[in-house]
Amino acid sequence: MAQVELKGVKKSFGKTDVIRDVNLQINDGEFVVFVGPSGCGKSTLLRLIAGLEELSSGEIHIADRAVMDLPPSKRGIAMVFQSYALYPHMSVFHNMAFSLDLQGVSKAEIHERVLAAAKILQMEHLLDRRPAALSGGQRQRVAIGRAIVRNPDVFLFDEPLSNLDAALRHDTRVEIAKLHKQLGATTVYVTHDQVEAMTLADKIVVLKDGEVMQVGSPMDLFKSPANEFVAGFLGSPKMNFFEGELTGGAGTDQGHFKGEGLTLSGVRLVSTDKSVGDKILLGIRPQHMTLDSDGLLKGRATLVERLGTETVVELLTEQGTSFRFACPEMLDIATGQDVSFSIDAARAHLF
Amino acid sequence: MFPTPIQHASKTRQRLYTVALPVVLFLWLLPLLAIFMTSIRPALDINSGNLFGWPSSFDLIDNYVAVFTQSEALRYFWNSVKVTVPTVIISVSLACLAGYGLAIYRFKLALPLFFLFIAGNFVPFQILMVPVRDLSVRTGLYDTVTGLVLFHAAFQTGFCTLFMRNFIRDLPRELIESARIEGVGELRIFWFLVLPLVRPAIAALSVLIFTFIWNDFFWATVLTQGESSKPITAGIRALNGQFVSQWHLVSAASLMAAVPPILIFFAMQKHFIAGLTLGATKG
Repeated sequence: MAQVELKGVKKSFGKTDVIRDVNLQINDGEFVVFVGPSGCGKSTLLRLIAGLEELSSGEIHIADRAVMDLPPSKRGIAMVFQSYALYPHMSVFHNMAFSLDLQGVSKAEIHERVLAAAKILQMEHLLDRRPAALSGGQRQRVAIGRAIVRNPDVFLFDEPLSNLDAALRHDTRVEIAKLHKQLGATTVYVTHDQVEAMTLADKIVVLKDGEVMQVGSPMDLFKSPANEFVAGFLGSPKMNFFEGELTGGAGTDQGHFKGEGLTLSGVRLVSTDKSVGDKILLGIRPQHMTLDSDGLLKGRATLVERLGTETVVELLTEQGTSFRFACPEMLDIATGQDVSFSIDAARAHLF
Repeated sequence: MFPTPIQHASKTRQRLYTVALPVVLFLWLLPLLAIFMTSIRPALDINSGNLFGWPSSFDLIDNYVAVFTQSEALRYFWNSVKVTVPTVIISVSLACLAGYGLAIYRFKLALPLFFLFIAGNFVPFQILMVPVRDLSVRTGLYDTVTGLVLFHAAFQTGFCTLFMRNFIRDLPRELIESARIEGVGELRIFWFLVLPLVRPAIAALSVLIFTFIWNDFFWATVLTQGESSKPITAGIRALNGQFVSQWHLVSAASLMAAVPPILIFFAMQKHFIAGLTLGATKG
């Protein structure tokens, strides 16, 4: 059983704390995605699991073994790097066979394992080529193949799709998802792309400034974000936030809100430490607002983006708060036009 | 494309180019040409003052054969080989190892140590002449091939390390991390990954150091005395006898002495392929 457990993991470079007290449980066979803006420490956390960086304090267990003092090769992991890191002077076959060869695995077994991995990734015809003769997507597949051959307990992916173009990124993402189903191995995947996180993950870990903001399934995080950061980070276009006042329901999970011309009651109240009269933020996704000529939220359109599948309107309220409205229909809203919306309190959040 | 091909320039420029190029080439090669002309003259011409005129006879074969038969030149040549080859091997291998350490490992003293290597290159070795000679006499290395090799290697390794460290530093770091994760030992990473990838650097450095050492006159003069250890650069002087000047033989020997570095350059040429790391990363 290849579960990964992080207990009180801390890492600092000099005086800068990069990872502050991370506790995390990754179950066997689970696909976990670390997501966050650049500089949030997600790659460092992965490198700590891999053993490429040393812990400042805390414990890491892989498959019930404490691995803090083990070198990367003894941790039962395989890692795929953003830059692929293929050995340029070796053929694809030798790239995959290199470590097995040095570990003294028999020629026949190496052959078998490399061919099996190549078959899974459909790249048997590439085995004789050098990395320079491969496209970006093929190189990434070789890098994944090199990980598969080692038959690890845990796969680690460090932004594996960042260097691919949009179309290839989508295809490779689908392939990685299939591969995970097929192999069923525990996988930790780092990305800054929320779409990758939402589509691939069984469990998303949102990080910010070296701290875990929220852990949960993609839909849990989307529906009930634990704080303003998670709410703003997941979902596109970004969630709208309006400043206002808590007018009731303090201490419960349902709050009343007043502000920006709106009065709402029965809104999901996230922060428990607010009392009536405190300033509070109302969050509502651009997709969860309804055009309504009697609506209380009024704004003036400043930009209309027609994406074909969706229309996104940027607006400005009278108080100068900018917000967005998104809707799958073609709308004939023009720039400068005044629009009003009603908000479904059941889909809003108070932070 | 830059520079713009001469075919695209104006007619006047083209004419100027066709005239100037051979002239410049001639001027450039004039010293070499002068030495060559001297090397095929009979001694008589030089003694009678016919230094730059038409030779009274062409003694090409006689002179070049004489260099090897009438003097110890062959021995000096062999000494040069015995000094140069081991020096190149020792300095370049030490530099690869030290360069790997300085480039790949993170330790507190990595940078100060590296600066020390650079700083060493700023010391003009002429000021070390007397102490080094003293040292070599005391250690019994004076006038030996071993002594020359050791001192040359000591002086060259600093520069070589600077060179190799910077090349190894430029390799994608993920390559090494990837190999570590795969359980490849450090020495094997060095041998199977780093060395093949810095081959062009090793080739260039070897040629450079080979030329430095082969052409060295300073230490050859300071640290050797007898026939048994004198390399060709210092040995050529001995062709001028104590009482007779034999400039035609000195010239012939000088030209012969210049050949090995050129041969080495061409022998190593096929290794100077840039872009060996192509395909390692996103490229």
